[in-house]
Amino acid sequence: MGMHMKRKERAASVYSIRLRWHIIISYCLAAVISLALIAGIIYFEYRSSVNERATARLVSVVMEHKGTIENFLFELANTMRMVTLLEDFDNLRQQDVLEQVYAVLEKEYDFAFEDLGVLDLDGNHLAYVGPYDLMDRNYIQAEWFQDVLEKEMVISNVFLGFRQAPHFIIAVKQTNGQDTWILRATVNAVKFASLVEYVRFGRTGFAYIVSHDGYYQTRSRDGYRVMDHVAPDHLDLEFFEGVNFWELKQDQRNFFRAKTWIKDNDWLLVVEQDVDDIYGELYLLRQNALIFFALGGILLLVLTLMTMKLLLRKVKLIDAEKELLDEQLIQSHKLASIGQLSAGIAHEINNPLAIIGEESGWMQDILKRENMQGIPEHDELTDSLREINQQAGRCRKITHKLLSFSRKMDATIREVDMNQLMDEVAALREREAGLSSIKFIRDYDQDLPMIHTDSSQVRQVLFNLINNAMDAINKNGEISLSTKKNKDKSITVTISDTGMGIPQENLTRIFDPFFTTKEPGKGTGLGLSICHGIIEKLGGTIFVASKVGEGTTFTIRLPLEPSVTVADD
Amino acid sequence: MQDNTDPRILLVDDEERFRTTLAKRLKGKNFEVADLGSGNEALDYIKDNQVDVVVLDIKMPGMDGIETLGEVKKLVPGIEVVLLTGHGTVETAVEGMRDGAYDYLMKPCEIDELVEKINGAFAVKKERDLRLKQAEDRSRLDKLEKAVRF
Repeated sequence: MGMHMKRKERAASVYSIRLRWHIIISYCLAAVISLALIAGIIYFEYRSSVNERATARLVSVVMEHKGTIENFLFELANTMRMVTLLEDFDNLRQQDVLEQVYAVLEKEYDFAFEDLGVLDLDGNHLAYVGPYDLMDRNYIQAEWFQDVLEKEMVISNVFLGFRQAPHFIIAVKQTNGQDTWILRATVNAVKFASLVEYVRFGRTGFAYIVSHDGYYQTRSRDGYRVMDHVAPDHLDLEFFEGVNFWELKQDQRNFFRAKTWIKDNDWLLVVEQDVDDIYGELYLLRQNALIFFALGGILLLVLTLMTMKLLLRKVKLIDAEKELLDEQLIQSHKLASIGQLSAGIAHEINNPLAIIGEESGWMQDILKRENMQGIPEHDELTDSLREINQQAGRCRKITHKLLSFSRKMDATIREVDMNQLMDEVAALREREAGLSSIKFIRDYDQDLPMIHTDSSQVRQVLFNLINNAMDAINKNGEISLSTKKNKDKSITVTISDTGMGIPQENLTRIFDPFFTTKEPGKGTGLGLSICHGIIEKLGGTIFVASKVGEGTTFTIRLPLEPSVTVADD
Repeated sequence: MQDNTDPRILLVDDEERFRTTLAKRLKGKNFEVADLGSGNEALDYIKDNQVDVVVLDIKMPGMDGIETLGEVKKLVPGIEVVLLTGHGTVETAVEGMRDGAYDYLMKPCEIDELVEKINGAFAVKKERDLRLKQAEDRSRLDKLEKAVRF
C-alpha cells in the first residue's frame, strides 16, 4: 500500500509510447479502411439500385403520360368523328344544332373545346359556335386544313392563330353522299397543358411536350412558354422508337430525362427529374450512414484505445517483471562479486591478523614472566597489548563472518512448517517487543504446504528481519507476519513493520555487505546480505519495499522444493 | 616414562612469522615444539623424531594440509593432528577429520583454544598409547605363560 518498489523509472517508456501509436494507428487504419470499404460498397450498390428504380419510374411515368395524352387527344378526335357520323351534314350546318352539340361537348369535356365549326372544302365556315367572331375566316391556307383534306382527321400543333392565344385544332373530314365537309374544333392549349403538367412526381418531376419542329406545346420547366422555340442544343429531336432515358447536365442542373414520341411521332413527350430529387432518399441515407459509420468509427477507436490500454498494461507488467528479474540478477551478481571480493580480502587479511594476534600474545606471555613484573610502565604495556588483542579479535570476528557469508553452505534440507518456524522465531522476541509496545500481528495461511528447506538458516533470516523490524520501530508499532501459498509451487513470507522506513537512496544498497546506517561498531552491515545469500542459495528471492515514515516490508519467496545452487568459492 | 614428558608438538605452517611466534608461545605453555614450513619437511621430520601432535595448516603451497595429514597417518598412525583452517575450508577440515584428524580450528585462533585442542589430542594419544602398552604387556605375559606351561 503506497509502498515504493525499489525500481528506477523506466527510461524506455518512450518505446511504449511509440508502440502505442504504432498499434493505435495501424488498428485505426485497418478499422477505417474496412469501414470505408463497406460504406463505399453499400453506397454504390444502393446508388445503382436507386438509379435503376428512378429509371424504371421515369420510364413508367413517360409511358403512362404518353397513354394519358394520346387517350385524351384521340378521345376528343373520336368524339368529333362520332358527332359527324351521328349528325347529318345538313343538321350540323344549322347554327342552332351546332350550338346544341357544342353545349354537350363543352359540358362533357369540361371546356376543353373552345369553339366548334363546320367548314366546306374551300375552308369557309358554314356554321360556327365559339367566343370569337370567326364566321368569315377562311382556312384554306392553314396547315391543318391541308392535312385534314388528305388524312380525314388531324390534330394540329399548338399555334397562336388569329386569336393570338395558344391553341390547337382537331379537324375531322366526313363524307355523306355527295357532301364532303369538315368539323373543326379548337382545343384550349392551356387546358391541355394542364393535363400534361398535372402529372407531377417527386419534388422536381416535370413533363412537357415539344413538337417535332421544336416548339413547346406546353410550358417548359425552365420558363419557356407555349410556342417558344426550344433553345439550341437543349433537346435532341431525332426520331427514335420507344423510350429514351439518360442523365444529363444542363444550365447547372443535373437531371434525368426520359422522352418518347407520341401522337404519331409528331410530338415529343419529355419527362425530367432532378438528380438531387431522385437521390434525395439516398442522400438522407448517406447522411444516416455517415453518422452510423462515424459512430462506428468512434466506437472502434474507443475499443482500440481500451484494448491498447489493456495491452499496454500487460506489456508494462511484463516489462516490470522482467525488470525486476533483471534487477534481481544484477543484485545477486553484485552480491556475489562483492562477496568474492570481501572473501578475498578477508582471506588476505587473515594471515597478517593471525600474526598480529600471535605477536601481541607472545608479548603478553613475556610480560607475565616473573622477571618482567618490575619493569616500568608494565601495566600500560599490558593494557595496550590487551587492547591490540581485543581489536585483533574484533577483526577476526568480521573476517569470519565475511568468510561464512561467502563460503558454500551445507544446507540440511528438511520438511519445514513455515508457520511454526515463524512463530518460534517471533516468540523469541515477542516478550521483549511487548515491553516497547510493539505488537505482533500474525496472518498465516492455514493451508500453507510444508516446504523443504534448511530450517536453521531460514530461522536465522527471520530472526534477523524481525530484529531489524523492531529496531526500525523502536517503540509503539506493529510488526505483521504473514505467510501465503503461491500458485507456482512456492510460498511467500512477509515481515512488515510500521517503523521509520528506508529512504529511497538506501533501498538499492540495503543488501550490500557492510552497508549499515547504524553507528560504527554497532553493526557490521552484513546481516541483510547474509540473509540475501541464504535465501538465494535456498532457491528463493527476497525483496524490500519501503516508504519513509510508513514502514518497510520484506517479502521472501521460497520454493516448495529447494534448488540449492552449490556455489564454489 | 612418556607420561611425565611434555607433549611434543610439530607446527606446520607456510607463514613463517606466525609459525615461529606461535611456537615460542606454545613453548611457554610447556610444550615441546618444533616448527616447519611445508608438508614435505614435516614428513621427513616425523620419520626421525618422536611427535605427539601435529598442528597443520590446511592451506599451504605444494603439499597441502589434507595430503600431509594422509601421509602422516600412513607413516605414523599414532600421531594426532589438529588442523588450522583459513576461511572457506571448513568443509575441507571436516573432511580431514574423517581422514583421522583430531579436530580443527579457525585461523586466527585464540591461543587458549589451541592449547585446549592440543591437550585434548594429546590425551587421546596418551590414552591410546597406554592401551597399546597394556596390550603389548599382556601379549608378552601370554607368551611368557605359554613358555612356562610347556
